[in-house]
Amino acid sequence: MDLSETLRISVRSLRSHRLRAALTVIGIVIGIAAVVTFATFGASLKADVVSEIEGSSANEVYLVASEGDEGGFGGAGQPVFTEYDLSQLREIEGVQRVVPRGIVPVSAIAHDNETIAQRQVTATNATAFETATFESGRPFRNGASEAVVNRPAARLFPGNLSTGDELSITRSSGERFEVTVVGVVNGTGGQLPFSSFTEQPRVFVPADPFYQSVVESPNAVSNQRVYSQVTVVTDPADTTATQERVREYFASPRSDAARLLPEGYEVAARTNADLVDSIERIVTRLTRFVTGIAVIALIVGAVGIANIMLVSVTERTREIGIMKAVGARSRDVMELFLAEAVLLGALGALIGVPLGIAGGWVATRYAEIPLELAPGWFAAAVAVGVLTGVVAGLYPAWRAARVDPIDALRYE
Amino acid sequence: MINLRGSPGTGVTDATDTEVAGGDSPAGANPAPGDGEPVVDLADVTKTYEGAVAVEALSHVSLSLPAGSYTAVMGPSGSGKSTLLNLVGGLDTPTSGTVRLDGQDIAALSDAERARARGRTVGFVFQTFNLMPRLTAVENVALPLVFQGVDRGERRERAADLLSRVGLGDRLDHRPSELSGGQRQRVAIARALAADPALLLADEPTGNVDTETGAQIMDLFAELHEAGNTILLVTHERRIAEHAERIVHFRDGVIEDVEEL
Repeated sequence: MDLSETLRISVRSLRSHRLRAALTVIGIVIGIAAVVTFATFGASLKADVVSEIEGSSANEVYLVASEGDEGGFGGAGQPVFTEYDLSQLREIEGVQRVVPRGIVPVSAIAHDNETIAQRQVTATNATAFETATFESGRPFRNGASEAVVNRPAARLFPGNLSTGDELSITRSSGERFEVTVVGVVNGTGGQLPFSSFTEQPRVFVPADPFYQSVVESPNAVSNQRVYSQVTVVTDPADTTATQERVREYFASPRSDAARLLPEGYEVAARTNADLVDSIERIVTRLTRFVTGIAVIALIVGAVGIANIMLVSVTERTREIGIMKAVGARSRDVMELFLAEAVLLGALGALIGVPLGIAGGWVATRYAEIPLELAPGWFAAAVAVGVLTGVVAGLYPAWRAARVDPIDALRYE
Repeated sequence: MINLRGSPGTGVTDATDTEVAGGDSPAGANPAPGDGEPVVDLADVTKTYEGAVAVEALSHVSLSLPAGSYTAVMGPSGSGKSTLLNLVGGLDTPTSGTVRLDGQDIAALSDAERARARGRTVGFVFQTFNLMPRLTAVENVALPLVFQGVDRGERRERAADLLSRVGLGDRLDHRPSELSGGQRQRVAIARALAADPALLLADEPTGNVDTETGAQIMDLFAELHEAGNTILLVTHERRIAEHAERIVHFRDGVIEDVEEL
């Protein structure tokens, strides 16, 4: 019996129980749609995060002192990197620039008569802006009473900040200092990780003179500024080897950081690629977990198919007997029932995938991230639908094939 | 006389098995009555059903149905009629002895081969019609051809042809539920003829229709016999059995008497 004939007969028998078939298909639709929704959302989330990070260049190594292996990106990190370390880093082969960052805790920033509350400003040096795009103005000069703001920060004040504006910054200690805005940046070219991602207002001031976290350098034996984050810009052709050399430096007591590190902490030297990897890993893990939950819905759908097919086999015992009497082999009967189950599964997948994409679209709208389709998942979902049909239909079909025509024809 | 055997040019052929009746001659591929190999040949057949107590449903039965013959089987219930029917129809295999169907030992075939052989060698007509409820008359008639691998157009053509020959040319697309009992049985007879089988096997074909309709059905069988078909009719009504050329009486699993009419 050829396939098209098998399918035609199966379609017909499904159509004769439209409501029952529809209800069974709904089970699969929900399962597939849930899987596709979460997979789409996960792919969108990953793509969004990754594109934010990958926007910056790949030849940067981020240093942060954190506990254990994971995390530590973003704001946190122990202040362990001294001026001595920075000067040693600049000597390492393959290092082009070293950009430190420290946090200056503040309570408020004022401009004209407008005062706004702010928790921190970022202390760094002029090299931080080498690849930044300036909307207006220029980088600050080290040692000068100048500041650079990003656009969200500029918008904090009525009429927006522009170059030449005076800011009065109040430290947490209550002490005040005055700076002149000399530039407005439109993103910082990635040298400050997450700076564009979070779109938080940022005010940058020169570490000299405003950064006041100081520690005694164990190697230089003098009081020095100490930073919590450092970006090392490397020769693009030599990033991996340079990253390794930087790690070696921080693993040895030659570095201040190694000696200042609290117990259980370590210096992580990661590139953008590492960062992307670890975020991808986290998002993927999360996506798999949620998708796994959705798979449960799919399993429920499969049980629905198996159930309805078993009912159908019982109901049609006589028909099976007739078919066998007129020359159907057990295999023909098996194929007929299997085709029906597969049709249910495939139909569920075909409806479920677009529904899932729509669900993913709604989820990404809600999360305000761009929609990213995962076509691999769609193909997989259809395959899973078909496979679900096969698995769920196998036992009922086998039962159908085993029907003894003698008993079946006597069946009233 | 109308010809209810395979009509010229629409015979069923199966490329994988040259044994299939060609059906190119109006009389079909089966030899004329009286010559050649019998269509059904039972030699010393015993059928035992295993259970708590083993039941011997048939005991050393030998019976031969020559091509073109018309045989009725009579007997009370439990006499072995149904078992005989299952064996001759290739639905079951004997415990001992051989059942040859169109020359082929059915016990030597695999289940799948037996199913195929059944489809092309035996045409069943049941007391309860056993039509597929969701298929139309023409689709029911064409069903055996589906499993013989005949293509769709040819199936429909042949089925429509057979239906018009049994007087249902205007009911092609009716479902069984839209037909009377007599009409349903005629659809079933047309279906039994679809694959141009060597044997027509009828199990109480008039059991579920009124007397007048039953008479029409028996007339149809008489025509089929005249057209050269080999017929085995199982019944418990003597009046019906008398349409045949001979009556084989069964009792307690053995042939009690063969009555030539």
